[in-house]
Amino acid sequence: MVPIINQIYAKFLEKRINSAKTKIEFYDNYLPIKLQTLEDRYNRKVEIIKLKHKQKLLSLEIPAGVNSEYLKENYETELANLKDKFYWKERIIKASAQRKGEDGKEQIQELEKEKSIKANDIKNKYYPKPTSEAIKNYETNQPILNETLETKINKLQTSYQTKVDRFTNKSNKAVKRYQVININLSAKLHEITKDKIAKYSLEENVVLSLKSLSMHFGGLKAVDDLSFDVKEGEIFGLIGPNGAGKTTVFNCITRFYKPTLGDIYFKNIYGDVVYLNDKLVHNIIKEGIVRTFQNVEMVWELNVIDNLLVAAHTIYRSGFFGHLFNSRLLRQEEKVMRRKAMKILGDLGISSYQYAYPYGLPYGILKKIELARTLMANPKLIILDEPAAGLNDLETADLAKVIKKIRNEYNATIFLVEHDMGLVMEICDTVCAISFGKKLAIGSPKEIQNSKIVQEAYLGGE
Amino acid sequence: MMICRTEVSKDRKARIKQITNHPYFGFFIITFLMLIVQLLRVAGVPVSNTLIRAFGITMIYIIIALGFSILLGYAGLASLGTAGFVGIGTYILGYFTKNLEASIFIVILVSILGAIVIGLIVGFISLRIEGMYLAIITLGLSEILNEVFKNAVSITNGTNGLGLDSQLIIFKNLIFVNHNTIFIFTAIIMFIMMILTLNLIKSPTGRALLAMRNSTSAAQAMGVSILKYRLMAFIVSTVYAMLGGVIYMSYISFSIPTTWSLAFSLNILAAVIVGGSQSIYGIVLGTFMIFGLNLGVFQQFDFFKENPAISVMFNGLLIILVIMFYPGGLIRLVTTSYYKLKKALAKLKMKWRNYRYGSDN
Amino acid sequence: MFDTTGFWKDIFIFILVLVVVYTLLKTFTLKYFKNKDRAKTVGLNIFLVLGILYLFYRIYRVIYDNFPDFATMFMMTNIINQTLQVSVLALATTGIVLIFKTSATTNFAQGMIATFGAFLSAKMIQYFTLNYTDMTVTTMVFLAMIGGAITAFLFGVFVDAVIIRNSKDKSPIGKQMITMGLVLVLAGAMPLIFGKILMPIPKMSYEPNIAFKLFGIDLFITVHAYYALIITVVLLVILFSMLRFTKWGLGVRATASNELVAGMMGVNTKVITSMSWAIAGLLGAVAAVMLTPNATNVTVALMTPTQVNAFMAAILGSFSSFLGPLVAAILIPVLTGLLSLVVPLWQNAVVYLIILAVVLVKPMGLFGKKIAKKV
Repeated sequence: MVPIINQIYAKFLEKRINSAKTKIEFYDNYLPIKLQTLEDRYNRKVEIIKLKHKQKLLSLEIPAGVNSEYLKENYETELANLKDKFYWKERIIKASAQRKGEDGKEQIQELEKEKSIKANDIKNKYYPKPTSEAIKNYETNQPILNETLETKINKLQTSYQTKVDRFTNKSNKAVKRYQVININLSAKLHEITKDKIAKYSLEENVVLSLKSLSMHFGGLKAVDDLSFDVKEGEIFGLIGPNGAGKTTVFNCITRFYKPTLGDIYFKNIYGDVVYLNDKLVHNIIKEGIVRTFQNVEMVWELNVIDNLLVAAHTIYRSGFFGHLFNSRLLRQEEKVMRRKAMKILGDLGISSYQYAYPYGLPYGILKKIELARTLMANPKLIILDEPAAGLNDLETADLAKVIKKIRNEYNATIFLVEHDMGLVMEICDTVCAISFGKKLAIGSPKEIQNSKIVQEAYLGGE
Repeated sequence: MMICRTEVSKDRKARIKQITNHPYFGFFIITFLMLIVQLLRVAGVPVSNTLIRAFGITMIYIIIALGFSILLGYAGLASLGTAGFVGIGTYILGYFTKNLEASIFIVILVSILGAIVIGLIVGFISLRIEGMYLAIITLGLSEILNEVFKNAVSITNGTNGLGLDSQLIIFKNLIFVNHNTIFIFTAIIMFIMMILTLNLIKSPTGRALLAMRNSTSAAQAMGVSILKYRLMAFIVSTVYAMLGGVIYMSYISFSIPTTWSLAFSLNILAAVIVGGSQSIYGIVLGTFMIFGLNLGVFQQFDFFKENPAISVMFNGLLIILVIMFYPGGLIRLVTTSYYKLKKALAKLKMKWRNYRYGSDN
Repeated sequence: MFDTTGFWKDIFIFILVLVVVYTLLKTFTLKYFKNKDRAKTVGLNIFLVLGILYLFYRIYRVIYDNFPDFATMFMMTNIINQTLQVSVLALATTGIVLIFKTSATTNFAQGMIATFGAFLSAKMIQYFTLNYTDMTVTTMVFLAMIGGAITAFLFGVFVDAVIIRNSKDKSPIGKQMITMGLVLVLAGAMPLIFGKILMPIPKMSYEPNIAFKLFGIDLFITVHAYYALIITVVLLVILFSMLRFTKWGLGVRATASNELVAGMMGVNTKVITSMSWAIAGLLGAVAAVMLTPNATNVTVALMTPTQVNAFMAAILGSFSSFLGPLVAAILIPVLTGLLSLVVPLWQNAVVYLIILAVVLVKPMGLFGKKIAKKV
């Protein structure tokens, strides 16, 4: 009975640890967004106050004859408006005259007169003769107004600062609290699962390990006793002739197929080793494995950013009712995720497509969007199914760069199946060649290139 | 002064735009338009009873169709059990009010819980294999429910139909309700349901559903549990249908098994498909085309009264034609023609400008 | 009608016992089997058969408690009375499965197309009774049946050529909805075309019942049901031998497994699908004509219950085989008939629940196999 209770307790702890981790990530990412919005709001308020202040001053300045910038600005705008108005009037007259076959000079002259009168009016309105009373009034009131402006701005600034401080403190406190919770819970979990950790273990550096994997379809042995390790942070390529079972291996790892025999182990994002055979297809992404598909699978009704957000949907903390009522948490999370998506798009150099719909975009861009989508889920292992299929040489070279960049900047291990030998030899650190479901050779790209068995399998030579 | 004035007007314009561009504004307008009929009557304009009734029933059908659109347009599943679920909703209200004298709030709670339970069982059994099975299993369920409605005389009063004598219970007191009040409440509930539906389809849940509709395997790779989301969509549509049934019963105060036949489910399906299954405005349009026109306009003519089959045939033809040639529904036709109109108007404006001011060069 | 105390309690307890025993066996003995999946399916099948047998046995007990002397005869008579229903359902189910195999959709309009054929048969019978007074009922109905069947055949070809062929790129659900639209179109069109006059179809024969002995029990069968059974058997034998031995049958099987590849291999998938729609319509029309005397008149909703039952049979027996749905098509009317003795009025609901329970434990149906999909 005790082990069962322990197991349940361990699962519960794991869930809480995961949620604490996601919460820490959320607060980390939400803080800058919140600060930005606070700052924007503050700036807008200050601007409005200043404008109002200027207007108050203006009513004092005009009778006093003080030439301030703002007065000039106002005067010039009004003049420009007048000019614009008369320009169109003139055009109407010209057009109608043209239609009638006249030249309409008289009317235009009349218009000019009217215009000059109006311009004069405006000038008189803005630059009347100063009276001594008004000047006195201006001199007494101007410093008072300035003072009130300053106090107002100061008040705003202090309130803004307190808000910023409060929010930052709150966020930092939350992060700290969850970090403490995380450490405590992890310690508890470790205590409970001390014996179990020994059950699944991988060598250091190894992320994914296949142990004598077999997959049989009826009599056909698509994969036969295949085992290899993928090391952390490397780009691992799986190559083989057509029908060698590469995609089957993929589908076994991502749980689309149940392997007939054999075990798959994976070190997940939290550093624990998990037995992938026990996992369901849609839970793989939570462990940190994300895959792409041979022919891009987009959600055609959504734009590029929303497409990226689909992949992030396991990270959302808000539940069904949060979604139904558009809760505050959901709105905050949406902001965080959108920011993250923008950043990823920027990193891959496709941020100009963020609001485009994927339908009709070039294939190379779609492939990159799919890559970007894998990054949304904080992956540890990215599985790429023939990333270069359907791309031209230029696009392939670009893709190679992007893949390397992802590996370097996002600390992800990359595991790919590819036909394009150029790409494989260029970017892979380790290459595994298989044929008819059996491993032929594994090693650095050079070793594979020089291996006789591989050459035979590919060329069928003697 | 000048700048100040322009700033203020700009600010006001921006504020108005903020309101009109808000996603809920359109729903508000639709609800308001629906209410106008009722308001006219209050103001003293003689509006015929049939017209008001047609509007009321159409609003109820819009609520049901909204739920169905989540199932069809977002989860990509078809169900034929709608009629059965709506029927259950009506009988729950009837039975609880008449025999148990329970408050309307308890009825709503019970109907939501019942919808969740039934949706969970039927959905779980039929959705594990393929989405296609749902239509078949729910077709069977609908037929069985119809039989139950006819046979369980103690609850449903059998084929004679269950009448309520316009009574509802709100907080322990029996209240003879005015149908005009219910009409207004229906409009408000429709407004709320539209908002909830929009929230849901724009949320991560809606995106996950769309991903699933495009490709199940890709959605699974992105962490979307197919069974969970399909079930969720089915349960949501069931809840909407049952709520629709409760409102129907409180508005019409009469429920008879023959209403809840396969044809009803198919008509709801037609409304959703014809209008456009992924757009809320499309659903409003489709429901008006399928039900509103029939109830409000066609029923006024003797020819259609004598041959009710014509409108049924018309609905069927619309389904086939829209699926084959216009998968986005008629709302897409409306939006595209709106943009075309806008373009044409801009061109006309340009021509007028050239005429008035003379061409630029 | 009968005293049924304890019936549901016993069944419920038996099911509970089965579930508990199965779970215990699964948890403790599964590890000794080499092929675990196979062991699981075999175990499930055994327990399912046990459950169904117990249901029959319990119904028998109820009858025995009330009429200890005639229990067997009562049950046998009840089963024999379902002959017509079984024949009709077998034909309808086969049509649905045939269309599912070639067009990858479930045809909701099957019943309506059949009713269309039946309407035409009724029209023909009206014509015959007015103009050829010396014609016997049997020949009249047979001629009308052939006429209705040919009409439905042509109508099937028409539906395929105009609608189904042009919506190949649609999803299975989209095609499903097209057939639902077709239901509405036909339901609206038929009253317009055939008017509001009552349309009776007589039984195939009004001769006295045929008596025969089975396991030493005297039983009767109506001549109409007897003819219906013969027609059904003949049609199904012809159809299955066509599926088994002709090129068309091979084409159907090829199209069912992969339409694209079949097309590339030189199978004319257009002909295959349109023939399937035509044959499905034909089978449906024959079934509708045989069924009409039960309801006396042809109405638009004539085939709806049969249609629902046919779908249930197809799900129960699995869409992937032809034989499974046939077995289910026999099982469903028999069960319905027997249950109508025990729980009158609720027999259909109970059968539906039983089917749901079976599908719950065997999602692919009684005879289905799970096929690995390519990702």
